[in-house]
Amino acid sequence: MKRLILVFFLFLGCTVISAQISPVVPSTGAIANASVADSKGWSAFGNPANIGYVADMTFGFQYENRYLLAELSTKSLNFVLPSDLVNTGLSVSYSGYSLYNEILLGIGFSRNFSNKFSMGVQLNYLTAYFASADKYFGSFFPQIGLNVSLTPALHLGFSTFNPFQSNIKTSYTVKKLPSIFSLGCEYFLSPELAFRVQADKEISSNYRLAMGAEYSILDFLTVKAGAYHTDYLVPCIGFKSDFGSFTFHLNGELHPILGLVSIASVQYSFKK
Amino acid sequence: MKRFTLYIFCLVVLLLTDLKAQEKTNTIEQFIADIFEQYAAETDESLDFESFYEELMELSYNPLNLNKATKEELDKLPFLTDIQVENILFYIYRFGNFQTVYELQLVDGLDMTDIRRMLPFIYVGDSEVKSQKIYGKEIFKYGKNQILFRVDRGLETKAGYLKTDDNSTQYLGSALYNSLKYQFRFKERIKFGFTMEKDAGEQFSGSSHTGYDFYSFHAQLNDIGKVKTIVAGDFRANYGQGLVLGSGFGMGKSSYVLKVNSHGTGLKKYSSTSESNFFRGAGATMRFGKFDFSVFYSNKNIDGDTLNGNFASIYKTGLHRTIAEFKKKNTVNEQVEGFNTTFTHANLQLGFTIVHTAFNHNLEPEPATYNHFYFKGDEQTTGGLSYRFRLSKFNFFGETALTNHYASATVNGITFSPLSQVSFVVLNRYFSPEYDTFYATAFSESSRINNENGFYLGMEMHPFKKWKIAAYADSYRFPWPKFGVDAPSVGRDYLMQIDYAARRDLTMFWRFKYEEKQDNESDSGQTMPLVVPLHKGSIRYQLNYSFGNFSFKNIIDGNLVQKNHSAMKYGLCALQDVSYSFTSIPLKIDFRYLFFDAVDYDNRFYVYEKDILYAFSIPMYYGKGSRYYINMKYDLNDRISMWLKLAQTVYADDRETVSSGNEEIQGNRRSDVRVMLRCQF
Repeated sequence: MKRLILVFFLFLGCTVISAQISPVVPSTGAIANASVADSKGWSAFGNPANIGYVADMTFGFQYENRYLLAELSTKSLNFVLPSDLVNTGLSVSYSGYSLYNEILLGIGFSRNFSNKFSMGVQLNYLTAYFASADKYFGSFFPQIGLNVSLTPALHLGFSTFNPFQSNIKTSYTVKKLPSIFSLGCEYFLSPELAFRVQADKEISSNYRLAMGAEYSILDFLTVKAGAYHTDYLVPCIGFKSDFGSFTFHLNGELHPILGLVSIASVQYSFKK
Repeated sequence: MKRFTLYIFCLVVLLLTDLKAQEKTNTIEQFIADIFEQYAAETDESLDFESFYEELMELSYNPLNLNKATKEELDKLPFLTDIQVENILFYIYRFGNFQTVYELQLVDGLDMTDIRRMLPFIYVGDSEVKSQKIYGKEIFKYGKNQILFRVDRGLETKAGYLKTDDNSTQYLGSALYNSLKYQFRFKERIKFGFTMEKDAGEQFSGSSHTGYDFYSFHAQLNDIGKVKTIVAGDFRANYGQGLVLGSGFGMGKSSYVLKVNSHGTGLKKYSSTSESNFFRGAGATMRFGKFDFSVFYSNKNIDGDTLNGNFASIYKTGLHRTIAEFKKKNTVNEQVEGFNTTFTHANLQLGFTIVHTAFNHNLEPEPATYNHFYFKGDEQTTGGLSYRFRLSKFNFFGETALTNHYASATVNGITFSPLSQVSFVVLNRYFSPEYDTFYATAFSESSRINNENGFYLGMEMHPFKKWKIAAYADSYRFPWPKFGVDAPSVGRDYLMQIDYAARRDLTMFWRFKYEEKQDNESDSGQTMPLVVPLHKGSIRYQLNYSFGNFSFKNIIDGNLVQKNHSAMKYGLCALQDVSYSFTSIPLKIDFRYLFFDAVDYDNRFYVYEKDILYAFSIPMYYGKGSRYYINMKYDLNDRISMWLKLAQTVYADDRETVSSGNEEIQGNRRSDVRVMLRCQF
């Protein structure tokens, strides 16, 4: 089994990929946004398959600030309702300011198949405000995901966001929406230490390669570190704290040119 | 709206999916497609999957009794090498009949992948005496009928269907593709049927043409007294290594590195919708002791551009969509007479084949450097001697052929297995520039069997349990300019594939390939032709895994290309496949999402995709974009099955049109719908 894991990681480690994700899609709680194979958590507009791994009803809020500019911030809400048949996830995200803003809404359904794998589909609606027309224009598109447990310690994740390359069409212009293909894996060296590798390709942008590790130092505290590469290498660091039913994430990314990106989120789980 | 419907459909399917632990449901169709994929994965040639599929499906209906199978019969399994066939026969000779198929694990050189592939086509049975007589009652009782009806349609309107002032370039017919097939078979003894086809753009009812564009009939009888085979209607002939008569499906370079020799399948019915590379007439093979004698005659009209009693080339696409294409239809009469005798004794097989081809017009290619040595005239005779024999651990095979203009070609090889875990193949080929025949298909770099010589070395080994390494190196030379390369050129290919079968439900492989060939320098402005080196390195990782009724596949494919020491260009492609077989209803669904990023044509990718029955797609991708499809099979009852495929390619490189000429589509999307109905009774 170790051989299998080794060859798998060797391959992914050699894949030089990086990407650029649209700001309307919020980052996830996973370090370096390497969440496609994350079997332990789900954030708004992350891999919809991961909704299937959520055991308890959960409500979350996230604030993401880019480069210390309020206009480039993204606020998102997510909610997961598990059931025996299918888990349902609701997501809302807002990005921008009064002259230009985008709102992304999503409803996702996912099912966990005996912890062997989870599949999910999310229907999203993105609407953007065009000041020139003083109007919102929007478009529906799906998001499809898969998270497979190849071994108990090794997960493989796949997600595609807007696979049909839908765009927002106005009478003046066509706004391209991101169409993203993500593939990654998660490996637990021990229950406390997880590694994640992910490759993203937004169809019209550069590749993105992300790697990260999360280590639970204490029962309630996890330290996260990683990096991703698009045009530049961006180091990332973060913390996760669990206090009863509350989970807090605080991540920071330092872009060498543009500066700091900070992500803070809180989740509340209605434990059974 | 169509896309929205598709989203809802996917959603409903996911919600309705009732998953329980189920056994793996790999069908024979999948097996065949997987085998073919290995052959076709790295090729840009269009291979005849339809015939390949039909032959293996027929074999699955009448599986071989392993204890009674001859070498000739085992050769029908295209994934077995000569060495593996010899090892199976040697095992029976040494230890007696197989008691169970599990014993195959004890045969040298067979791994679990090979055995799993064999299972649909073999069984272990007792001795049985073949009944030579055919009774009319049995034919009606046990004969199987099959009707296939297929319709394809592109959803976007192509330029050829738009009304213009210039009618001569417009497509005459509708954008609908349609084919209808009927097939009857009684065991392996009697087969007959017919095929009708209309390609998209061809006229079905109109001033130029009425009815289907292509009609084909075939009949084949086997094992009637001394007569081994009788064929009538459309058929194919394949003897020796295919230098004189090839099967149309050449054993070329693939990840089956040891599978480089042809097995001379003799006369066989032809029921494909492909409109070239077959004979129309009749033929028979008689068996007298250790000798087989075959003779056939074919007389059919072929397509060509005739002018003043000459034609420049044979038009093989079978497309008659415009007035210009229609004018080429059936303009040349071709008559072919052929004879073969094959002597088989113990480990030795010798064959002699001679074919005479005559046209009612002169073939006169338009003068160009590359076709200087192509055949010219209206008659050609080609003869060839072939051999196969085993000596200790060595298998020798080859064929040497000569035309009536003294143009020669020869291919010779050896396979040997010094240890049970290691096998080698060595092959040398020489096709003179003047050697140019019409029905040759042999091991080669280019699709045309002429103007090439080369040396191929292949190796397959099982270093550890669950691991397999296959590799080949091929060095070749074109001593005369060829189409697209204006000077003599050389090339080299290297391939290594590492397979790892971690578990029955989890397999993966890495394929590394490096090619170095020569190409024309674009826009060189030189008076003298100038060829420049083209280097291409590629790597593919494929992961297959399954859980219950679900099966998944991931592929990541990347390449680097450098032409004439310019900057390297890369290409990348990745995909996710999900397949599910329902248990409560007879429905199977395949879904794929793929993205590709290969800006330059030299970085193009060929990726196999699942399709409706008898169709096999290996679309080529270059540019930037994504492709997705949903492919469904539903069994309405025991007799009627239906296939449906919806596919769309979307380009993201700001192009405003897709394709060119009459095939041009406005926009950046190309969508296809395919439907097939099969009725068996």
